[in-house]
Amino acid sequence: MSQRSRALAVRPGLFTVILLSALASTSCAAEESPRHEIAGTSVDANVSLSEVVVNNHDIVPLMLLHCTVCHGVRKQEAGLDLRTKQSMLKGGKSGPAMVPGKPDESLLLQRARAGEMPPKKREVEAGVRQMSQRELDLLTQWIALGAPEVDPSTDVAGTKVDPLISNEDRQFWAFRPPRSVKLPIPNPQAPTRSPIDVFILRKLKSNGLNLSPAADRLIMIRRVYFDLTGLPPEAEEIKRFLADPDPLAYEKLIDRLLVSPRYGERWGRYWLDLTGYADWTHAYRYRDYVIRSFNSDKPYDRLLLEQLAGDELVDTENVPVVTQQVTDNLLATGFLRMAPDPTGARLSNFVSHRVEVIADEIKIFSSSVLGLTIGCARCHDHKSDPISQRDYYRLVALFKGAFDEHDWLPPRIDDGPNRPVLVKELRVLPYVTPLAGPAQLEQERLTREANNEALEKEIESLQAAAETLKQVKLLQAKVLPKPQIRALFDRGTPSPTYIQLRGDPMSPGDWVQPAVPSVLSNGETPFDVKPPWPGATKTGRRLALARWLIQPDHPLTSRVMINRIWKHHFGTGIVTTLGNFGQTGARPTHPELLDWLALEFIRQGWSMKAMHRLMMTSSTYRQSSIADLGLRIADSKTRTPLSNPRSTIFNPQSLFSRMPLRRMEAEVLRDTLMLVSGRLDETPYGPPDPVLERKDGLATSLATERGWRRSIYVVQHSTNRNGQHNPTILETFDFPDMTPNCLERVESTVATQALHLLNDTTIRELADSFAERVSREAGSESGRQIEQAYWIALSRGPTTEENDACLEALEVLKRVAAKTGVNREEAARQALAKVCHMLLNSAAFIYID
Amino acid sequence: MPTQPPATQNLSRRGFFERLTDGISGAALAYLLNMDLYGGSGLLAAENEESVRRVYDLKPRRSHFEPKAQAVIHFFMNGGPSQMDLFDPKPMLDKHHGEPYLEKLDVADVQDPEQAGALMRSPFKFTQHGQSGIWLSETLPHLAQQVDDIAVIRSMFTTTPEHGLGCFKVHSGRELPGYPSIGSWTVYGLGSESENLPAYVVLEDPMGPPVNGSQGWQPGFLPPVYQGTQVRSTGSPLLNLRPEVEEPSEFVKVGSDLLRRLDRIHNRNRPGEPRLDARITGYELAARMQISATEALDLSQESQQTLDMYGVGESSPYQGREHPIDGPDSFARRCIMARRLVERGVRFVQIYVNTQIWDMHAHIENDIKAACRKTDKPIAGLIRDLKQRGLLDSTLLIWNGEFGRLPIAQFQNQKPDPGRDHNPHAFSVWMAGGGIKGGTVYGATDELGYSSVENRVSVADWHATILHLLGLHHEKLFFERAGFEEKLTSTFEPRIVAEVLN
Repeated sequence: MSQRSRALAVRPGLFTVILLSALASTSCAAEESPRHEIAGTSVDANVSLSEVVVNNHDIVPLMLLHCTVCHGVRKQEAGLDLRTKQSMLKGGKSGPAMVPGKPDESLLLQRARAGEMPPKKREVEAGVRQMSQRELDLLTQWIALGAPEVDPSTDVAGTKVDPLISNEDRQFWAFRPPRSVKLPIPNPQAPTRSPIDVFILRKLKSNGLNLSPAADRLIMIRRVYFDLTGLPPEAEEIKRFLADPDPLAYEKLIDRLLVSPRYGERWGRYWLDLTGYADWTHAYRYRDYVIRSFNSDKPYDRLLLEQLAGDELVDTENVPVVTQQVTDNLLATGFLRMAPDPTGARLSNFVSHRVEVIADEIKIFSSSVLGLTIGCARCHDHKSDPISQRDYYRLVALFKGAFDEHDWLPPRIDDGPNRPVLVKELRVLPYVTPLAGPAQLEQERLTREANNEALEKEIESLQAAAETLKQVKLLQAKVLPKPQIRALFDRGTPSPTYIQLRGDPMSPGDWVQPAVPSVLSNGETPFDVKPPWPGATKTGRRLALARWLIQPDHPLTSRVMINRIWKHHFGTGIVTTLGNFGQTGARPTHPELLDWLALEFIRQGWSMKAMHRLMMTSSTYRQSSIADLGLRIADSKTRTPLSNPRSTIFNPQSLFSRMPLRRMEAEVLRDTLMLVSGRLDETPYGPPDPVLERKDGLATSLATERGWRRSIYVVQHSTNRNGQHNPTILETFDFPDMTPNCLERVESTVATQALHLLNDTTIRELADSFAERVSREAGSESGRQIEQAYWIALSRGPTTEENDACLEALEVLKRVAAKTGVNREEAARQALAKVCHMLLNSAAFIYID
Repeated sequence: MPTQPPATQNLSRRGFFERLTDGISGAALAYLLNMDLYGGSGLLAAENEESVRRVYDLKPRRSHFEPKAQAVIHFFMNGGPSQMDLFDPKPMLDKHHGEPYLEKLDVADVQDPEQAGALMRSPFKFTQHGQSGIWLSETLPHLAQQVDDIAVIRSMFTTTPEHGLGCFKVHSGRELPGYPSIGSWTVYGLGSESENLPAYVVLEDPMGPPVNGSQGWQPGFLPPVYQGTQVRSTGSPLLNLRPEVEEPSEFVKVGSDLLRRLDRIHNRNRPGEPRLDARITGYELAARMQISATEALDLSQESQQTLDMYGVGESSPYQGREHPIDGPDSFARRCIMARRLVERGVRFVQIYVNTQIWDMHAHIENDIKAACRKTDKPIAGLIRDLKQRGLLDSTLLIWNGEFGRLPIAQFQNQKPDPGRDHNPHAFSVWMAGGGIKGGTVYGATDELGYSSVENRVSVADWHATILHLLGLHHEKLFFERAGFEEKLTSTFEPRIVAEVLN
């Protein structure tokens, strides 16, 4: 069968492919033809292989696609198993399914030809379809030939040199382990107080630049607060910091913030973007796991182990005591359950839908953890990176113990009673309260059911009327969740994995074994996969993947993560393409710094908090954000001319000659508005707060009794399709669509943002609350009010110029308000509220130096 | 430093734009201060006009050469309209109707070979129209009356059969998210003629967003001022355009004066931050939009005759079966809004349909009728209206989907009523108005409509042609990013389709 040979034949040698694609991207004369035509051309040139005949590897995929759901690992209807030639020969109740050499006498073929198998009416339920004529012909041919089998070990990463990936491919910087760098000796005289500064300054100097002056303490405390907690400092804390005579006052401040519970809500959010987090049923427990893990500074290697293979770390089905760690292990695998999954619906649970879910999960995994764009290798060999289609499906095979499109667990929820034991048949697993005994679980159940029953009755009575929607949503929010989690579970019996030609599951190609991309290995060592413990009914594949990732000499894991941490502190990555360290990605602006940080990250036990401390105590981080005129002019004169786009010419700003001025991200803005106006409800964790959408499309989260919770606890949708919206304020300020995840947020500056902050009713209410707070704290004297308003909103006092502007406006506003007939007190209230509202609109508020 | 004009003073357009950089004093200094600042754009390239461009605003800019069109109205027909049922009659398809053809197709063309049927003739009759005698399917009776104004390109092809990627491709020239849309490129190149309205307006269908959502009008790596602004066509045109509770105007004014004053202080201390300028632009624009957007989109100022010409108030006897498709009323309203926006100086208007109504894997006969009923009269009405008002010569209309469809039938999920599957090898688009030679048909597909064979036009060719009509040269309209000149037409070497130009 010629098709099978294609996956290998497509790849005549990576070097050629790279050359071709380089040509294609720089000097293409006419526009490219359709993607598959390109692949087709090279295929056809190679398909003169007449020796290829039909064998078992042409037939197994057919059985998987059409038969094994009822005659395979889970079920053997009529006693029949069609997974192998042997089991076909053995047959079932009606006798052997296949007679080698005699197609017409083979029961299997007879039933399939007659359109009886799979039965038409059970296609949807089983998620399979009947065989096409082409497939029937193939099966006929195989049986006619006597059902030949070939040695199945064609694609085990072996001891032979990989024909697809060369050692030259492996020389690319990002595919080589980080190199230990001789640590430059920090100059004891500032500004090179940190090794980071030595690296940064060296590059700046060679470009005729220097570090900008240090920012003052007021700027630093605001910067540091937003950076680590996503919220501004309170006046109290500012005063404490300013008054601290300790030369290490700044370092102490950072340490204080690193133990703040707000830290996990800030930095956990970055991680949730990468995972494509959305509030699917029960997903919030994963969100809480992420926040808790960041707060407890769970080492990044451990975080990866748990998220990629938590179910393979401990025998969760048989543990005597369910500890928090056991629960966390399972919760963590929610990482691989965040892609949109339509297979819970009846008509979208075919193989074609399932492979999309798998593809999305692989995309999320590879872009977030690996920093590579692997997705394109799903349909064809990667055009610019040495990632073959074979490598892609090897990766798919690594996930197959849990993600098996031929043995699929749809995301349906079990509504049965509480089960203290984890049940592996469920995609949505029961959530086991850590350390709770059966009695406690039973008590929990009773409480929940009593609570929910009453609520459900009330909701039912309300739902008749549309105007009670808000009430209904509020009540629904009080319904106690069932103890269930969204987790991934290896089931120990993966189907064999075949390359899908052109990404089409109906066009199986070569059989592949689980392994990591060849370019990231030496290509000659088989990938070692063992069951995680003796007698385990798990494959251990994802565990092997996770263990491979966290090896200290892994070329990408540490670099990719440290680069993200850097980016969130400094505004730009050392590699600016955060999710693409490949050929088409950017080259590091500071390769030595990147490697030094990557190794330092590992040396410090993969502690992210240690990395924050390291970066934030550098002089580079403590620079001013204001562009220095003299420097910029000098800089413009010493510019080198352009050359290769991916070479070492960089935007001078990415050399970190100053800190960037940063706009609050969507959540930071919303949370800060709430905090400033005293309306932030800091209750952490739990089911997300509902969002209510008005007829005109304005979506707002429902307030709790105490105000509003932080944005991370508001329900979020992966995209704004199907009328499901995230709160308008978040969308207006660039809350991302997760398709399927977000590697880097964009920042837009559009008029609708101004309209929102100026006219939105909620913002106006918050401004009123803010003004009330100012009056409460500062009394009725205008000057003190302005002073206090500045300290609350901007974490500093007003400058004289600002003070004058605000006082003048305040007086005029009072007079104008008085004209409408309100009393003096009310006029003063309105005037102050207006000034406060304008402060919340001001650039000084929304931008962080 | 020059003294700043009082913030509240009613300023001329020129003054308005000067104020955007008024913290910086003077163009030369502004140049120096801004040269490094946007997305790696700071490196000097060859001597040309773009290399001195460092301030990003919506100020009207001179085009590279004399433009034929001042503004664009883009009908984006998401889903992949079927060329052989609309613009590309295929008698041979009638002749070979019912014959198998799957074997001759590229294997990747069909979603599922099991759903693939035989060759399928169009269920619709084609006739010639106008002086030009352009063939159109009977589902386009209104466009038929304006056919001498349009130029049909029948030989388009694209590079992907997937909706999401296909939309990225036709909008931005690349099959990837993160590249600027053609609307963003246009306003980057030309700025805006309106200081009261966004330069680039997106009129979404109230029935729902298109496939790629707002990614269709993202500015990608271009500065954020070039992003499309979504305007609602029902209710308030923009969320929060007005506050729910109005304050006395004097009160509002004192507040906004204060804000402007504070922002100017902030901006002055932070030279060379184009985002701060863009923010001020945003606030200025927001203030003016409160008045102008309401007025611009207020259809009560239109005569009944005009409303009728577009089909406002009309319903449809058809309902989409694959996707919800409403009657012409809402689409007609958006077409009138598009005209009103263009009249007021908006540079680029995009009219979308909900999801991908043209994606007809089944029920194609019914659904084409429904989609045409929704869009045909409004679009034809717009062409006629622009013509009557003398605006057609300066407004470029473009109509396209992301790909075409196959000549064979598709029987999806055993639905008896057939449709057609995606086809990247051939699709039809049309253009009309500024600079377009009306009554033209260009290019041809093979006898069955499967593949473009004669005078093939790539997406890049088409993009270059649109830019050309706007007076922009596709090689000169670029943005430097990481030392690389990014262009709408990428590194392709497109050909301007001169045959459809006047």
